[in-house]
Amino acid sequence: MRLLALAIGAAGLLLWPWAAPRYFVFLASLIVVNAIVAIGLNLLSGYTNQLSFGHAGFLAVGAYTAAIVATRSPGAPVVVATLAFGFVVVEAILNLDGLTRGNDGLRVPAARLGPWALATDTARYYLVLVVGAVMMWAAGNLARTRTGRALLALRESEVAAQASGIHVARYKTLAFAISALYTGVAGGLFAFVVGFLSPDAFDVFLSVDFVAMIILGGLGSVPGSVAGAAVLTVLNDSLAGFQNYRPLIFGAILIASMLFMPGGIASAVRRLRTRWAGHPPMAPDSRRGLE
Amino acid sequence: MRSGWLLPLLALVVMVAAPAHAEQGVTDTEILLGGSNSFSGPLAFTGEQITKFGVDLGFKAVNDGGGIHGRKVRTIWYDDGYKPQDAVANTRKLVEQDQVFAVIIPQGAPPVVATLEYLEQNRVPLLFPYQSSTVTRGRHWVFQGMTMSDRSSRMMIDYLVGRRKYRKFAALYQDDEYGKSFLTAFEKDLARHGLRLLAVESVKRGVTDVSAQIAKLHAAKPEVTFLVLVPGPGAQALRERQKIGWTDTLMVSTGPLTDERYLSLAGDAAEGVEGLSLWPDPLTSDLPGVRRYREHMQNYFPRNEPNRYSLAGYFAAMLFTEGAMRAGARLTRESLIAALQSLKRWESGILPPLTIGPDHETQKQAVWVRVERGRFKQLTDWLKSE
Repeated sequence: MRLLALAIGAAGLLLWPWAAPRYFVFLASLIVVNAIVAIGLNLLSGYTNQLSFGHAGFLAVGAYTAAIVATRSPGAPVVVATLAFGFVVVEAILNLDGLTRGNDGLRVPAARLGPWALATDTARYYLVLVVGAVMMWAAGNLARTRTGRALLALRESEVAAQASGIHVARYKTLAFAISALYTGVAGGLFAFVVGFLSPDAFDVFLSVDFVAMIILGGLGSVPGSVAGAAVLTVLNDSLAGFQNYRPLIFGAILIASMLFMPGGIASAVRRLRTRWAGHPPMAPDSRRGLE
Repeated sequence: MRSGWLLPLLALVVMVAAPAHAEQGVTDTEILLGGSNSFSGPLAFTGEQITKFGVDLGFKAVNDGGGIHGRKVRTIWYDDGYKPQDAVANTRKLVEQDQVFAVIIPQGAPPVVATLEYLEQNRVPLLFPYQSSTVTRGRHWVFQGMTMSDRSSRMMIDYLVGRRKYRKFAALYQDDEYGKSFLTAFEKDLARHGLRLLAVESVKRGVTDVSAQIAKLHAAKPEVTFLVLVPGPGAQALRERQKIGWTDTLMVSTGPLTDERYLSLAGDAAEGVEGLSLWPDPLTSDLPGVRRYREHMQNYFPRNEPNRYSLAGYFAAMLFTEGAMRAGARLTRESLIAALQSLKRWESGILPPLTIGPDHETQKQAVWVRVERGRFKQLTDWLKSE
C-alpha cells in the first residue's frame, strides 16, 4: 500500500513536465528547491531546537557560488548570529561588485552536466528533482548514522546526551553545518532555476519564509518540510501582485498553525490517519529520527 | 548520464517549449497586457501611479470608447519591489502563465535590464520601460519610454554650462545601472566642455540615510550637485543639506527623480531645487492631451491627484492604442512593432510631435524646472537632445 503510493507519487513527479505547462514546471522546481532548504532547516530545528533566521544568507552564498558551503557557527545565541549572518552576506555580495555585479544582479548561465547544458525548464526540473530526492533520502536516514544517533540523543535531552559522552557544542555546530550545507546546495540549484540573482532578494524576510515553511509543515518532519515548502511557494507565487500583504498573510498562517495545528501539517495528517484507522493517537516514536 | 535517452528527451522538450503561435494574448474580444512593477519598496508610489492610475486610466477611457478594433484591453500587474530577481520571476509568470501579448511600462533600470534578454528570446514586445539606462536602445522588441540617461545628461550639462555658466559639478548617485549610466554620461559631457566631476558619492539601492555622503560632497564645494536617486533618498539628501546649512550649491535632479513624490517628501527643503522634467506640468498645463488626462482622472479616479507618474502611464496607454489601431484588426506582435515604427509626427497633445526612428525611442526631450513655493515652475521650452 505504502509502496504503491510511493510509486504513484514518483511516477507523477517524473511525468510532471510532460503534463504541466512550462510555468508550472518552473514552479515545481522552485518547490523542490525550497523543500531542500526546509528539510535542512528542519534538521537544525528538529534536532537541536534552534531556529535560524539567516538561511536566506546561506541560500545566497550557495546561489552566488553555486557550490556547497559548510559553515562554522559559534554555539551560543545562534538566532542572533544567524540574523547578523543574513545581513553580512548581502553586504558582502553588494560590495564584491567585480564578482557579483552588485546591485545590478547577475545572470546565471545554464548549468552544465558534462557535455550537456541544462537549458530548458524540464532539464532543470529533473536536475533539481534528482538532487532533492537524494537529499530527502539522506535526511530521512541520518538517524541511522553515528552522528544521527548523537543528534537524536541531543534532541531528547541535552544533559543526558552530555552525560553519555556526546560533545553538545560540537554536535550542535555539526547540525548547523549540515543544515547550512542543505541550504547551500539548494542555493546552487536556485541560481539555475531562477536564472537571475540580485542580493536584495535574499533578505531577512526570505529567512522568515523558510521558518514559516517548517512551522507550517511540522518541526522535525521531512514530508512536513516538503508540504510546508509546497504550500508557501504556491501561495507566494499567487501573491505576486501583492507583496505588501505577504508578511501579513505569512504571519497569520504562522500564528494560526501554531494555535490550531501545533506540529504542523505533518502531525495533522498523522492525527487524521490514526482517527480513520480507529486507533487512539500514538506518541511519535522517539527512536526514529526525522520522519 | 547517457546521451541515448537524453537527446530525444531534449528534442521533445524543445518541441513542447517552443511558442505555439505568435499572437499570444490577443483574442477576438481582448488584448492582454501586463508588467512587473514596484508596488512595495522604494518606488511603490511611483509604480502604483504609473500602472493602476496611469496605464489603467488610459485603457479605461479606450475601452469605454469601444476598445481597439472591438477588443478591450486588460492589464495584469505583479510586484517586484524594485528587485531584479523578482522582476525576472514575475515576467516569466506573465509570459508563460498569463500569456500576455506584451509587457508594458515596467519600472527601474535594474529590474528592466534583468528581464531584457528573456523577453527578446521569447519575442515579447517590451513597451515603454520606465527607466533611463541606454541598454534598451535600438532593440527590435523594445520601445524605450523615458528619455535616456545620455540624452538627459547632454541637456543638463549643456544647459548648466552653456546658459548658466556653472563650472564645478558633483554627483550623488544610486549604485546600480540607473546611477552608473548617468554618471558615465555626465563624465563624457563634462569632458566635452573641458570639465570633470569634482566629487561623486554613491548610495546603495533601498538605503535612505545619505548624511555621510552629503557631508563629503559639501566638503568638495561644488556649484552644482546632481541627484541621481529615487524619491526617498532624493528627498533625504535635500533635508540633510538643509540640516547642515549647505546653501551655496544648486541641487539638480535627473528626469526620473523630478516629480511630485520627491517634492512632497522633501517639503520646504526642496525650495529652489532645479531639475530636468520629462513631462509638462500635470496640474496646470493647457496642452490638450494633459487637459484630457485631467478630465479622465476626474471621471475615473476623482480622489487621485494628477502627477507626472500617472501622466507617464496614461501616455504609454495612448501610444499603445495608437500602435494597435494602426496595426489593424489582425494584431500580432510583429504588426504592432511595424505600426509603432511607422509613427511620424504623431500628436499626443502631451509631448511634442513624435516620430519613432530605428533607435525605437519615444521620448528625447525635457524641460528645465525650478521648485518655487512647493511647485515645479517651468523655466525653459522643450530642450532638445539631438
